[in-house]
Amino acid sequence: MTVNDPKSAPLVRIRGLEKSFGNTRVLRGIDLDVRKGEVVALVGSSGSGKTTLLRCVNLLEHPTAGRIEIGGERLFHVEAGRDVARLPAAAIHRMRARVGMVFQQFNLFPHMNVLANVMEGPRTVKREAAASNRARALDLLAKVGMAEFADRMPDRLSGGQKQRVSIARALNMQPELMLFDEPTSALDPELVGEVLKTMIALAKEGMTMLVVTHELGFALEVADRVVFLDQGTVAADGPPRDILLDPPNDRLKAFVNRFHETADLMRPLIG
Amino acid sequence: MFDWQILVANQHLLWYGLLTTIKYTIVTSLAGLAIGLLVAVGQLSRFFALRAAGRIFVEFFRNIPLLVWLLWSYYALPIFAGINISREMAGVVALSLYVASYYAEIFRAGIQSIDRGQFDAARAMGMSDGQAMRRIILPQAVRRMVPPLSGQTIIQMKNTTLLSVITIPDLLYQASYISSFTYKPMEVYTAVGLVFLVILIPLTWIARRLEHRQEGR
Repeated sequence: MTVNDPKSAPLVRIRGLEKSFGNTRVLRGIDLDVRKGEVVALVGSSGSGKTTLLRCVNLLEHPTAGRIEIGGERLFHVEAGRDVARLPAAAIHRMRARVGMVFQQFNLFPHMNVLANVMEGPRTVKREAAASNRARALDLLAKVGMAEFADRMPDRLSGGQKQRVSIARALNMQPELMLFDEPTSALDPELVGEVLKTMIALAKEGMTMLVVTHELGFALEVADRVVFLDQGTVAADGPPRDILLDPPNDRLKAFVNRFHETADLMRPLIG
Repeated sequence: MFDWQILVANQHLLWYGLLTTIKYTIVTSLAGLAIGLLVAVGQLSRFFALRAAGRIFVEFFRNIPLLVWLLWSYYALPIFAGINISREMAGVVALSLYVASYYAEIFRAGIQSIDRGQFDAARAMGMSDGQAMRRIILPQAVRRMVPPLSGQTIIQMKNTTLLSVITIPDLLYQASYISSFTYKPMEVYTAVGLVFLVILIPLTWIARRLEHRQEGR
């Protein structure tokens, strides 16, 4: 969707990333670059490590080994069991403030209304003044079509509405990068479209996005690149059409065939 | 057959006893809340030693009969520690530590009952653990803690009657004192029971209302 200069330094640079839970090796040496303005879809069957990989990017999950850089700054570096980066907690918090995240289960704060949810990050993390924070929050709520719900409590919203609020909440931190963790998987089918529309608008504005998704239609039509994870490794990485319409290996082929029909459902939303 | 007159005649003793009971309930509950919070924080700590210490504290006090612990604090602690503590101090310490173990469990369970996703969302926007606790986790957890905390405090008020065994003049002690020279235990102990019911039934009712309000949310 956006034209990238392939020589520009990637916004996200991941090298040799490994993650184990006990004896289970979930990630087995992942290399991945995401350039500025790029939309990368992470796909794969459940258990392939895609959500773990996404959660490692902002260190919600602590990797076992490897290197992560965001915007050229080292966020994580463990080599041969030794923490080379030794970043203080405050540096990790600052980095997370530059990366927005949207969760499968929305994770809105149930004790705050919609507007307070959207304002919470800048208020607490950046200590931003209420006036500018509120103005931007209301703008963002309007953008995701939730302006008239600003005073509602989250438990009185539908799943799709919650997810749109959570996107506005992440955007209000003015992030350089947005991480999406299966943002439509917890939604009733008829609510998926409104969330995808919001994400498509965001992609068109040039937001850098790393999206874990089962919506292969979205991956095909919106993503600049599709990365297929299989058993903790990158099994394919390339333009959506090459990866999804002409799968380069059998495991990917098997995976894609199960999802082909959703692409047809997506097209009307793009236009 | 009831001789209520003796209650009226000795009412100053009963009032004093009631005041003592209320005083010990308030002081030991407040001290217990403070200690319980510390123990809960210890149990949720990332350091093994603190978690273990918190766990041991809770298991110790929850599994020892309060009466045994109270008598031990008064009679045995001074000998073991080589210190001389008043019976009032022994009573406050014993009851405070005891209720602290229950409060600690309520705090810990309240915090742990909050969905992990709330912590994820807070941390993902760059909050420190302290900010996430203060802004996101505690405001939700405290609401869930209020009903069990009030229930435990009601139990604490009833438990203060055990103070009478170390001769602290609470309501029950005063009652046994009055019956010792009036020979009217039936009237006196009936009155003590009624006093507790009159105070605690409304409080229990309020606690239950709080619980229902939680469920309604």
